[in-house]
Amino acid sequence: MTTDRAAMATAEIEVPRESLPTLADANRDISRPISPPRWRYWLVLGICAALILAAAVAWTIQIRRGMGMAGINNPVNWGVYIVTFVFWVGIAHSGTLISAVLYLFRSGWRTTINRAAEAMTIFAVMTAGLFPLIHLGRVWYFYYLVPYPSTRLLWPNFRSPLVWDMFAIGTYFTISLVFWYLGLIPDLASLRDKFTGVKKKLYGAFSLGWQGTVRDWSHYRRLYLYLAGIATPLVLSVHSVVSWDFAVGIVPGWHSTIFAPYFVAGAIFSGIAMVITIMIPLRWAFGLEKYLTKYHFDNMAKLLLVTSLIVGYAYAMEYFLTWYSADPIEQESFRWRATGYYAGPFWIMMFCNVVVPMSLWFKRTRNSLAALFVVTIFVNVGMWYERFVIVVTSIAHEFEPGGWHVYTPSLTEITILVGSFAWFFFWFLLFSKTLPVISIAEVKEHLAHAHEHEHRE
Amino acid sequence: MSGILAQYDSLGATRQAIERLRSEGHEQLDVFTPVMSPELEEALGIESSPVRRWALIGGITGFVTALALTSLTALAYPIVTQGKPIVSLPAFFIIMFEMTILFSGLFGFAGVLFHTRKPARRLSPHYRPAFSNDRFGIFVPAVGATEADRVAIERLLRESGAVEVEVSE
Repeated sequence: MTTDRAAMATAEIEVPRESLPTLADANRDISRPISPPRWRYWLVLGICAALILAAAVAWTIQIRRGMGMAGINNPVNWGVYIVTFVFWVGIAHSGTLISAVLYLFRSGWRTTINRAAEAMTIFAVMTAGLFPLIHLGRVWYFYYLVPYPSTRLLWPNFRSPLVWDMFAIGTYFTISLVFWYLGLIPDLASLRDKFTGVKKKLYGAFSLGWQGTVRDWSHYRRLYLYLAGIATPLVLSVHSVVSWDFAVGIVPGWHSTIFAPYFVAGAIFSGIAMVITIMIPLRWAFGLEKYLTKYHFDNMAKLLLVTSLIVGYAYAMEYFLTWYSADPIEQESFRWRATGYYAGPFWIMMFCNVVVPMSLWFKRTRNSLAALFVVTIFVNVGMWYERFVIVVTSIAHEFEPGGWHVYTPSLTEITILVGSFAWFFFWFLLFSKTLPVISIAEVKEHLAHAHEHEHRE
Repeated sequence: MSGILAQYDSLGATRQAIERLRSEGHEQLDVFTPVMSPELEEALGIESSPVRRWALIGGITGFVTALALTSLTALAYPIVTQGKPIVSLPAFFIIMFEMTILFSGLFGFAGVLFHTRKPARRLSPHYRPAFSNDRFGIFVPAVGATEADRVAIERLLRESGAVEVEVSE
């Protein structure tokens, strides 16, 4: 063990040396929330369930009566459903960034946030995955995208970005799940040893009989590293593929090579905002102040600031490229985007994603959880509007003035949009009371090294 | 298998105990740890895990599968769409990329399950619940050892900082 690593570990936990938690403390503190919930939890869970039910009713009506229930029209045939799909895929991205990319960079501060961020990834992909189905109208035909052995030899068109999308998101979900589950195995074993009865049986079954021999850990460690290694290009590919759903089309406003990096940066930006939005109440509700410190939020806020700058640069660059292209149709599309019917959403996007995050240059904002919470809410809203601006304003204002048309979301679409948030939080709430929201094994790993360091001095 | 099980409460002590045991010729140690620790792997002389080969084979399998899936299905129904060649490799490459990653991850996971013999219904008789909490454990098999040997092992374990030593069957 290098001394550097131990010193780093101590800094990351950021508590006075004498009160450095022991391994048993970490085990107890982090698994404490896994206990029968109080009425407040049931209330929030109930509200989520009610909103999901409302969305399910809206979807059922849409299936019965047809896509006319949604506000989409011709030419604006991609509306809130596609916007929300892109939004949730974007939210998913920070989980992998935090768990895989920061792991490869040996940024030890990820230890206390990676579990919740990975869980968020999985639930966000589960939410996003519903939207292509909802948008499909006749949902029972979704299997056309799946390469099943058809007797008519009709296979998916592998040149279509929509098929790429299915493969990208399917892979992303599967690999994220494997990564998350692998990380959970040692913690599940801890819980198995802590509980008795049915809980012991359940956690025991999912821990697969893990007993932490050094030999087992060596295989585990190797796979963890590989998964981090392959998840990194994967996460970059997923939102690139989503962006090609648009960029491959010739629609002005979409047909641009900047789209892939632009979408990836936006995804990480929105994802980190959502991590912070969730972690602040979680820390308070579960009393995890000792493990989720200002240091962690400060680091996440800095990441948010960096990605905000990248996103702001992309917005500016889009306009520059449009001007430089000397293509009058492209130029008209972008002029209309900022000054036309949808100027409102455009300026909301600019304000929320570019102006508000600039407050993060100040340490005071980064260190105030209340301020940080407010900033991230702005970013969440702004990023939804960004996708709205990209998707809707481009197709509403294509080549022929005779084909221009605007679109307003219908009540059905808004109900389903709200329901998607409820669905996401519903899963997160279930997760937060049944599994450790912080990786116990990784926190203990840092503590074990920190204690070692302390001992040597 | 009977032997002596010692519990430690720190990483450093566990590592030193392993090094001393190995220098005295005890190679068949079962070491339990609540945390991932490359140091203990090194002390035990464990070589790099073969899981990497599983991941590599998985990746190659995924790539070839995707290449076959996209090309052969396009050739099976050769209709020109979007003015592109029947086998449009740049477009198909995206599918190949995704499936390389998918298979690599899944094969790697299967590899971990295979090499760690999981899922296992029963835990080792030398496992203690504290090993998933805050204790490190070293089990030294002592089959056919004389009483004097056992005493020597026990003394070594205690001297290296064991907080608990017991005979485990």
